[in-house]
Amino acid sequence: METADWLHQPPPQRHRWHLPWIQTLALIAFWWLAQSLTMFLHWPIPGSLLGLVLLWALLDRGLVKLGWFEHGADGLLKHLMLFFVPAMLAAVDHPEFLSLLGLKLLVTVFVSTLVVMGGTACVVEIGFRLHRHVAAH
Amino acid sequence: MLPLIKALFWCACTLGIYLASRRLHRSQGRWWSSPLLVTWVGCGLLIVTAHASYREYLSGTHWLVWLLGPATVAFAIPMHRHRALIRRHWLLMCVGVTAGSILAVSSSWLLASAFHLSPELRASLLPRSVTTPLAMDASARLGGVPELTAVFTALTGLFGAAVGESLLHILPVRSPLARGALFGMGAHGAGVAKALEIGQEEGAVASLIMIFAGQVAVIAAVIVAGFLKRW
Repeated sequence: METADWLHQPPPQRHRWHLPWIQTLALIAFWWLAQSLTMFLHWPIPGSLLGLVLLWALLDRGLVKLGWFEHGADGLLKHLMLFFVPAMLAAVDHPEFLSLLGLKLLVTVFVSTLVVMGGTACVVEIGFRLHRHVAAH
Repeated sequence: MLPLIKALFWCACTLGIYLASRRLHRSQGRWWSSPLLVTWVGCGLLIVTAHASYREYLSGTHWLVWLLGPATVAFAIPMHRHRALIRRHWLLMCVGVTAGSILAVSSSWLLASAFHLSPELRASLLPRSVTTPLAMDASARLGGVPELTAVFTALTGLFGAAVGESLLHILPVRSPLARGALFGMGAHGAGVAKALEIGQEEGAVASLIMIFAGQVAVIAAVIVAGFLKRW
């Protein structure tokens, strides 16, 4: 259940600038630039989303090499859950959740999750079969 | 001096419990040993028993939350790695993300309304099917409480990853695309890890669906918030 597992093992390190923490700092700098850009331009989208799309476009165009950021990105994504645990602990300020309200919330989350998982899988499966059917004829 | 020591104490506790829980999870590998759950419950119990306030706890750990921004930017790397998969199946992935997002928002809204939950709680529940950093952002824009969204999102991931495999046995879904979409859309990060246990392609599809769904949620929240402001 760790996010780490879905990231491929990075290749062995060759250069100093391939050190994960330098790449992590580079990603933080990239995010900060994107954040400043959205604030400067008064765009309503979050800087992290702009940074993500921008970095993806730069990688796609070959203007940025995968090796410049990948160790840093793998490191950050490996520990993603650690970064939102402090936010989740806001629950200690909500003792009212230890009541019927908490049960209602739990039921909402569980039932909705089942609906989303089942529904999405069925829709994609139907689309996949339709696509195969069309391709075969 | 005392606030600084307290801040360092909470920071050390969080990191310590997290590292220990990772070791525990490597040896156990069960849903209840998830570092997310163990660190959350462990730190929560510590705060309550120490009679500390959430503000005090956050003084030492808010820098961790701040790292969610750069981590979101880092999603560009898995997207780039799986670019061949995007090129091949972009249409089906779009269909899956659209259907999943509509289902997630409408089912949360209907259930929350049926239970007469407050508007604040309802808004916090809406984006809970997408990856936490983007869900928290979307929640803030929709008038929800990002911290509560983080809790609901984590519960969604834990539950989804735990039941996903059983769902696959019941549902007649055979394609890796649909099986990956089930985990990526329903259980985000935790689901992606589970999907990878089933297969490489399932895992890759799940991670892409998760990232796309998060982007769609934030953009939708920006648009909805814009409309709400105009009214």
